[in-house]
Amino acid sequence: MNTSLVQCPKCQAWLLEGVFNQPDLLPCPACGTPLQIEVFPALFRNQRVGRSSEAVLVEGESSCFYHPQKKAVIPCQGCGRFLCALCDCEFNGQHFCPTCLETGKTKGKIRNLENQRTLYDSIALSLAILPLLIYYFTLVTAPMALLVAIRYWKAPHSIVRRTKIRFVAAIVLASMQIMGWGLLLVALTTHRL
Amino acid sequence: MAEKEYQRLTRARSRSEFAFAFVSRSSLWLGKDHLLCVSTNGYTETYKRFYFRDIQTISLQRTDRHLWWGAVLGFLAFIFFALTVAGVPKIPPAQWTGGQMAGGIFLGSVTGLFILLLFINFFYGPACKCFLRTAVQIEELPSLNRLRRAHKALARLRPLLVAAQGELTPEEISSRIRAAAGTPPETTPAMAPQAATSPPTTPHPPAPPPVIS
Repeated sequence: MNTSLVQCPKCQAWLLEGVFNQPDLLPCPACGTPLQIEVFPALFRNQRVGRSSEAVLVEGESSCFYHPQKKAVIPCQGCGRFLCALCDCEFNGQHFCPTCLETGKTKGKIRNLENQRTLYDSIALSLAILPLLIYYFTLVTAPMALLVAIRYWKAPHSIVRRTKIRFVAAIVLASMQIMGWGLLLVALTTHRL
Repeated sequence: MAEKEYQRLTRARSRSEFAFAFVSRSSLWLGKDHLLCVSTNGYTETYKRFYFRDIQTISLQRTDRHLWWGAVLGFLAFIFFALTVAGVPKIPPAQWTGGQMAGGIFLGSVTGLFILLLFINFFYGPACKCFLRTAVQIEELPSLNRLRRAHKALARLRPLLVAAQGELTPEEISSRIRAAAGTPPETTPAMAPQAATSPPTTPHPPAPPPVIS
């Protein structure tokens, strides 16, 4: 998609004028669907062409860690290894080698590369609440909820949610369920005796 | 604290039209230099970042979805209202049995629920689809599925995008698009309907190769 042209989202007709950056919706000249299209200068920006790496010409010249025959142009800001133009991955103004970029993504070291998180607080809360519908499941799920809440208390939670209220609620509910089972057990034992 | 770097732009909305539970929901958040689209199924979250400097277009397309929902909800409300009225016994309320009263309350509640949903649907206003385009993707933003909400979000987004990229007037955009399309200004219509799936410069596909039998 390297074109600077814009299509109607519905009929895919190429739009040339009329509907861009208008304050209100205007009909598509082809299909009549009301459209509002905000266009920004990035649409007309030329895409950068990838650089090709140069071969090492002089003996003793710094070479790429991954391609010893290629000239190094920059060190990786993660591990310090020398990189050729091909291995240099620029991200948010920083330069990384592919390995550091992958490590940063999988281990969450480069925050803006992280694209998934598990919500342990929601899992713990679900384990504490949902089995209440069939209450005897709570004999198993309440300790599980407590375990998940304690085990993952410090695990990174949602990027956009800020509190640990779900963990707290799960711990409180699970503790109450465990206490309830404990009291029941005690009551049954004493009744038999 | 790094965790507080996002401001909510829209609340989570379901990605599917007939979604009620256990489905992916999507919300939009504003970061310092990017828009964050968060999709969640309740137990995991998936993030997509759209950097302000990379956003090329944001398109809103009005749809009739709210009318269809209105029709469906109105129909269901009417059916349950009719059932409630038909189920009312012809005797004074003091002589109703427990079953008759429970049935009336149940049907009345269901009717009330559908009427409430109908009002909510019309309160939200016209529906729309919102697409965000970058150099490598066109992404639908499911949380901007109502026009009023989309306009509000756009009003917050626009200054940030302008600050990151600058601004273009409608005339500038048209002239640049015409230049990109290879179309001289003021000699062609606003668009070429016959070129629905190809750029304006190549309105007709090349002829297929001859078949040799």
